Amino acid sequence: MAKPKVGVFGMTGCAGEQIVILNCEDELMDILKVLDIRSFHTAMSENDEQCDLDIAFVEGAVVQPEEEVWLKKIRKRSRLLIALGTCAVWGGVAAMKNEVSPQRLKDEVYGPRGQIFKSIPAQPLHSFVKVDFSVSGCPIEKEQFLQAIASLVHGDIPVLPKYAVCTECKLNENTCLLVEKSELCLGPITVAGCNARCLSYGIPCCGCRGPVEEANIASEVEILKEKGFTLGDIRNQLRTYAAPAEVLQTYFTKR
Amino acid sequence: MQIVKLPKENLDKFMGGLSKFGEIHAPIKKDENTYLFSKIEDLSKIELNYNRTILPPKKYFLPPNETMFRFSPEKGYEPPQDNLNKKYVLLGVHSCDIHGLKILDLVFSGTYVDNYYFTRRKNTSIIGVSCIPDDMCFCRSMETDFVEDGFDLFLSDIDDSYLVRIATSLGDDMVRANQSLFKEVDKEDIAEYKRKSNERKNYFKIDLELYNLPEIMDLEYESKIWEEIGEKCLSCGTCSMVCPTCYCYDVFDQLNLDGKTGERRRQWDSCLFKDYALVAGGLNFRSERSARVKNRYFHKQRGFVAQYGRPSCVGCGRCIQSCPAKIDIVEVMTKIRSASYE
Repeated sequence: MAKPKVGVFGMTGCAGEQIVILNCEDELMDILKVLDIRSFHTAMSENDEQCDLDIAFVEGAVVQPEEEVWLKKIRKRSRLLIALGTCAVWGGVAAMKNEVSPQRLKDEVYGPRGQIFKSIPAQPLHSFVKVDFSVSGCPIEKEQFLQAIASLVHGDIPVLPKYAVCTECKLNENTCLLVEKSELCLGPITVAGCNARCLSYGIPCCGCRGPVEEANIASEVEILKEKGFTLGDIRNQLRTYAAPAEVLQTYFTKR
Repeated sequence: MQIVKLPKENLDKFMGGLSKFGEIHAPIKKDENTYLFSKIEDLSKIELNYNRTILPPKKYFLPPNETMFRFSPEKGYEPPQDNLNKKYVLLGVHSCDIHGLKILDLVFSGTYVDNYYFTRRKNTSIIGVSCIPDDMCFCRSMETDFVEDGFDLFLSDIDDSYLVRIATSLGDDMVRANQSLFKEVDKEDIAEYKRKSNERKNYFKIDLELYNLPEIMDLEYESKIWEEIGEKCLSCGTCSMVCPTCYCYDVFDQLNLDGKTGERRRQWDSCLFKDYALVAGGLNFRSERSARVKNRYFHKQRGFVAQYGRPSCVGCGRCIQSCPAKIDIVEVMTKIRSASYE
């Protein structure tokens, strides 16, 4: 069987996902044994921009009209489109700005020269195209990426954890920073996969992997308010990585 | 049951001598109010006066993650690399947790005996230790505040010494191997033991009344209380992870990059997870959070009673201590009971 033809693309973001892929140093040769990488601008000098692809891995959020066009073109030429990283899956850090008027942002950041940028509200990929599978994370976890490739090569849709960071945190037997230390921790509503890395170093979960499927925002907010955090603090933390997420939009619009 | 006395000044020597019976694991202090069972390299780290560990001892017998076997087209199925036959001494286990293990024994010895679990059980000796209940303990309600079997030795604190109950021949070997450290029990020791046992009863602050509970739960199946808890619950899985009797696990194949070789793994699962009851075709017969919370309580306090003759809760208080949303099983059951009296 021919190796699947693959492209790796980056919209607006920090390129962290592509760096994670390149950091799979011990596995890179094995990856090349099973994937035929046709396009990967961050890593290769000769890229095929036209060929049909079996899998497109796309990182970053869409923040410019050109990116929307480009993304749709990628979608057209790919059998599967996989969103990599929190920006691609949830909008990420860039989407924090969506509430502020684009004009004000341009003026403040770039001054008069800002007029040359055309910008639209930062959105995740699924706002524009069908996304077949998502690997979230800021950045993605190397192990999850490798697992996803292994499943795809075998012809399966990958299975990644859908439960919350709390589960992994408990399995690591960390002292609960939310319950025992009353810290602003988003572990209960953030999707696992990081093996509760920050928490294992005593740092509360900032929600960088995005919300779980059925995030109970109302309960999380109540818990944090009871611990003395203001709605403003909580809102800021919740919006840092996944502001466009429907579950957050719904919660905050209702208020 | 034979009982001997271990003066506390001999405790360290005794614990040191246990290493010939296996690798010693015991509670250590993790943080201000948290403890965990851990491999002991320095005996002074052992903390026998602890309230509860984050994870219960089930982690030693049903590890959070484990490889069941490896597979490849060339070699077929191969057993896991971990040595299931390694000997362990689990020291400092509370009565409720020993009951927890006895409940897991019932579950895993059913029609399909779980050999991974029982091989580890067979190779691990259990030394229990008495405890002082805190305000989240309700083992007395669950009849697990005292244990008569399921351990090799059980140490009961009587201030200057431990009274040591010897329950198995292995326990007897452990005592005999360190015979000079032990003394005979005298009348005053017995009197002190009785005094301590009676005093301990007064420490319990909460009570879960079991009388008629399965029927009450049936009657309150449609109660709106379940919806209220469903609103608070985060589905975070914490209660299941820390529960000494939650035994659900998920089994899956983890493939290597070649798409041909890999391993079959299992990992703790929770009935609170949204995809727990998801079946082929996308149907989910417990898609509501309230239905999942209800299911968990029903299984512990209703279904398990029907199947095994006792609830599968041991009153350790872990779920009360660790639930971020402060959902408290004793409060929930008390509310359900009150509703049925209305």
